[in-house]
Amino acid sequence: MSSTDKTPSHTSRTPNTVLAGTFTCAWCGLTVSAATVDGTRRNHCPSCVHSQHVLDHVEGGPSDCRGRMSPISVAVLRTGDWMVIHRCVRCDELTSSPICADDNQLILMRMAVRPLAQPPFPLEAFGDL
Amino acid sequence: MPRRAKNSGRRTQRTRRPQRHKDVLHRRGGHRRHDFRCVGCRLDVSLDAPGTTHRNHCPNCLVSLHVDRRVPGDRAAACRGRMEALSMSARPDGEWMIIHECQSCGELSANRIAGDDNALALVRLALKPLRDSSVAHRMLLRL
Repeated sequence: MSSTDKTPSHTSRTPNTVLAGTFTCAWCGLTVSAATVDGTRRNHCPSCVHSQHVLDHVEGGPSDCRGRMSPISVAVLRTGDWMVIHRCVRCDELTSSPICADDNQLILMRMAVRPLAQPPFPLEAFGDL
Repeated sequence: MPRRAKNSGRRTQRTRRPQRHKDVLHRRGGHRRHDFRCVGCRLDVSLDAPGTTHRNHCPNCLVSLHVDRRVPGDRAAACRGRMEALSMSARPDGEWMIIHECQSCGELSANRIAGDDNALALVRLALKPLRDSSVAHRMLLRL
């Protein structure tokens, strides 16, 4: 994915996250470490799963939007791994990032079952199919 | 039987009139010139969709085409790749949105569902995270 190969340029652009090893969540204000327990780089808050728009995925390279990105959906890869789809609240850019082991499971599960709470058609007919 | 068939055949030959002039054109430039053919299932789809102003995905297989860049409808993308439905999202008011992912450049886009979309395909897409029981079970047990 483009998010993984753009990570070095992103980390060089924001030296405070590399030097301190922490960043402050734009939504809940939690101070979290930038590295996960797996050793990979974290790109969203594990508590509220919000992110920040620092990468431009259409043009490539770093973005100067810096808007808050709220999680809107959960996608499943062919391997079975879950990805979180983020949407920037300022410029409506969409990104996908893999979930971490210590992410808030309640928020992920709530996003996964959220469409089924208000289906656009009655689901009773699917029992007969 | 052979005699009757011969008689009736002669009658149709005699009474056959020339074909009427058709003023409805089915070729390019006719009444279906705005239709497009789906790149996923080859279905001919008309552009007017119930419930939305712009049709942007096939109602049968939910496959779209990467033609827009930042603004919906600007047709500025040079990619023209095939975009497959990746996941289902819900707006705060409960409306379903399909997240499409371009297969050639990885770009994501969110599109509203239309009134004539395949309901089975939509529900299968919405249930995708819950189908793989191992991840979902592990998450529910950890809650």
